Amino acid sequence: MHYLGLDHIGHKAGPQSSHMIPKQHEMDSIVSQVYQAIEQETHLHSTLFVLCGDHGMNDAGNHGGSSAGETSPAVLFISPRFRALDTNRQSPADALRDLQYYRVVDQTDITPTLAGLLGLPIPLNSLGVFIPEFLDMWHTSAERLELLLANSKQLLRTLTQTYPSYDFDTPATCHVSSDSGNLEKAHCAWARVKELLSQEEHAEIETILLQLLRTSQAAMSSAASNYELPYLFLGICIAGVASVLSLPASYEALRRYQQPGLFLVASILSYGIMMFASSYVEEEQQFWYWAFTGWAVYLHVRSFQLQPAVRAFRSSFLLTTFGAVALTMSHRILRRWNQTGQKFAAEPDIARTYFSTHQGTLWTLVVLTYADIYLCLVRNDSSSSPTWYLSCLAVTVVAFTFKLAFATSESPELVANYVATTLRGIPLIPYARVVMSGIAILCLSKKKRDTRIKSPPRSLHSALTLFLVTQSRVTNIPIFLVFRLQLKILASMNLASVEVTVTSLFMQYITFFAFGGSNAISSIDLSNAYNGVGNYNLVLVGILTFVSNWAGPIWWVSASKLLRSKRPRGESQTHVALLTLCVACMLLSVMAACTVLRTHLFIWTVFSPKYLYTMSWAIIHHFAVNLLGDIDLLFSSAT
Amino acid sequence: MASQSSTPVQQQALSSTTSTSSKPKFSHPPVSILPSQFARGYALAHPAILLSLVIYRFSSVVNDPVVELLSDIPFLVGLQVVYVMGCLPPAGVEKDGSPSTDGTARKTPGHKRRGHSASKGSAWATGLVTVAWKLTPALLSLTLTTLLATPTLALLLVLFGAPLTTHHALTFLCAAHMALLSAFPLIYAHGVDGEIWREIWGASRPADAVWGGALGTCLGAWFGAVPIPLDWDRPWQAYPITILTGAYIGYVLGMLLGRAKGVFGKRLEFVPQGLTDIKVD
Repeated sequence: MHYLGLDHIGHKAGPQSSHMIPKQHEMDSIVSQVYQAIEQETHLHSTLFVLCGDHGMNDAGNHGGSSAGETSPAVLFISPRFRALDTNRQSPADALRDLQYYRVVDQTDITPTLAGLLGLPIPLNSLGVFIPEFLDMWHTSAERLELLLANSKQLLRTLTQTYPSYDFDTPATCHVSSDSGNLEKAHCAWARVKELLSQEEHAEIETILLQLLRTSQAAMSSAASNYELPYLFLGICIAGVASVLSLPASYEALRRYQQPGLFLVASILSYGIMMFASSYVEEEQQFWYWAFTGWAVYLHVRSFQLQPAVRAFRSSFLLTTFGAVALTMSHRILRRWNQTGQKFAAEPDIARTYFSTHQGTLWTLVVLTYADIYLCLVRNDSSSSPTWYLSCLAVTVVAFTFKLAFATSESPELVANYVATTLRGIPLIPYARVVMSGIAILCLSKKKRDTRIKSPPRSLHSALTLFLVTQSRVTNIPIFLVFRLQLKILASMNLASVEVTVTSLFMQYITFFAFGGSNAISSIDLSNAYNGVGNYNLVLVGILTFVSNWAGPIWWVSASKLLRSKRPRGESQTHVALLTLCVACMLLSVMAACTVLRTHLFIWTVFSPKYLYTMSWAIIHHFAVNLLGDIDLLFSSAT
Repeated sequence: MASQSSTPVQQQALSSTTSTSSKPKFSHPPVSILPSQFARGYALAHPAILLSLVIYRFSSVVNDPVVELLSDIPFLVGLQVVYVMGCLPPAGVEKDGSPSTDGTARKTPGHKRRGHSASKGSAWATGLVTVAWKLTPALLSLTLTTLLATPTLALLLVLFGAPLTTHHALTFLCAAHMALLSAFPLIYAHGVDGEIWREIWGASRPADAVWGGALGTCLGAWFGAVPIPLDWDRPWQAYPITILTGAYIGYVLGMLLGRAKGVFGKRLEFVPQGLTDIKVD
């Protein structure tokens, strides 16, 4: 049974709420009602009734922290059979200290106690010790011994798995002093138990077994928080060296473009500080959304102040005056596309709430996105032949119908019935392979032409967009239309190199979250990880998973390459250097936060997932996407 | 005396900005606080009064933001009207760049005329005339603040992340407070001069109490959003309490900083150096 009332009142109005005491009386009456019902029936007299809180609350009525109020829930074992025990507890009792009554029971001890009382084996990985007060339920010492021995063997087995090099079965030469480790103590106790067992000294064995259990438990809990600190510091040093090495190349650019440089440095510094606060890690998207509005204001002011100069670049008056407003508007739409994070995760958004009731709008936007990609593929080609037009059209149409068929099987609630009936039963795996090979052919034939005309890889970008769209959820596809608008506005602003870098960095992080990503492992989208993959293939599925989760960032890496295409080569090098500096600094701050906060309550639920995400940002996204995307720099600077 | 000491500073600031950048012609000098005793005193007392009001009413804003923010508006209007009428030259007075002399020149005829008939009540009478003469621009700017600035700021709030589908009343009240702080003095001091408003839209006004206060309000509101995502679950983290508090603090700081010695008359310049280089190649 799970009664929500107390928790609800706590969250609503805190422990001092006027509803709290009446609710607690109500809970008491329910417990006594249950107990009386047990007592009335003789066949229920062996019932074990356990009353246990799963958490307490702080002064505000919330929980999850480590204050005494939050970590001191009550546990109560109730049964008519316990009358036989001579523990005579008085109630109500006074608190010994901060919310501690009677005696403190380790949370892990509940499992073996329940197992023992119910006559079940103890679960394999339990770290608990049977609560000794209940031993008196067994009248013969042989029975008690059997129970404790089972508990000890199970705990020692877990201990041996954690320390495989330690052999507990060798006869110990015991000279245990007060400063010897828990392992030695447990080893000694176990040797002594075996010795006593052969002598049948049951009375002493029980106390030694309990000692053995406690020391094994202590050894196990220290193992759970045993960090390889040298490796942690080594990682921090590597990230530190990386940021120092990228500093000289970036410094020149930062010095030359002071205001955008200052904005970038301030953003990275505040990001670094933020990584030490668990709620900012959970709500990281808010930082990027917020900082980008500041950046949009900067872009607006500089474009507006530059107006006379920028107008020489054929930008219209409207774009210089209201371009940044349009950029912020599109940004505001992206913000609401997928609600992510923890605090506002359940709020209504466009992808889940709006599109589930407006399928017509969704599919119109999706068709528009594909049409736009087709136009981009065709338009950026001066020497286009009818075959090129036809093959572009064929690939786009096949890609769209694949997505339609995919949605029919994966999210039928988004597809109208008559479409679903015609498309049901299409084999998706070969279909996806056709789409992928079509896109690959487009890329290859483009590459050949591009080497001849030496133009910026615009249609390569369009082919990439087609691939990214294929790897995205249907509800996210219209986002690519928003991207196109944003790119158009940004292109009209004639950004300087550092400005392109800052914009690119912001857009990469913003879009990761706008697509529904977050710093929780649970938000990884696997729905497109098996497109065209028949059976599990670690590398292929890994790549597809990464692309479907990082589709937005990858698009912006490619888009910022287009934004830079008209600029001198040297500026691309500062772009790479600056991005490396940012990634290294972010990595450094996340590593430092995880090391400093390794005993934090949320280390496994918040900081470690963030660490894993940062690793994929740094290793996969930065190395494989950002740096490989600029691999041509290497050749051009060599020649 | 005061006006004489303020003009050289002003001119120096003007010349320093014109020397750093060659192209724009800065025909609109920064606004100086009026030279009268009351103006100089109240320009310092006003931010203090506003801040103490924020502190005094904070808990009731947390308890019932809609009711409290709405009932605060008349007081805020009153305070701001006293401030702009008492401390700022109204629009159109400072066209030729010497605000204080122009302002007194307009007042003196009335003073002299009345001086003949009743010398005792003359101080009262001049005061009344000045108030009546300044009330019209104040009321006009108040109308524009309500009709134009508040909806614009509400839109900007939504663009910067305020909820679009809920909390409409709060967004509008927050925008109204911000408009009264930032836009009202701007409209009172500059009217609807298109060129000045272009400077405001481009954030290139020279620093003074009016522009500093307006910029501070917006920056403060922006920084006010920072504590919202924290998981402290405090009632004051609710939208838009931190944003409006930030706006008030930013207004006070901006207003004082805008008048500070090294800052007054300086302009924000966001023109990246690199762009002139591209034009070359």
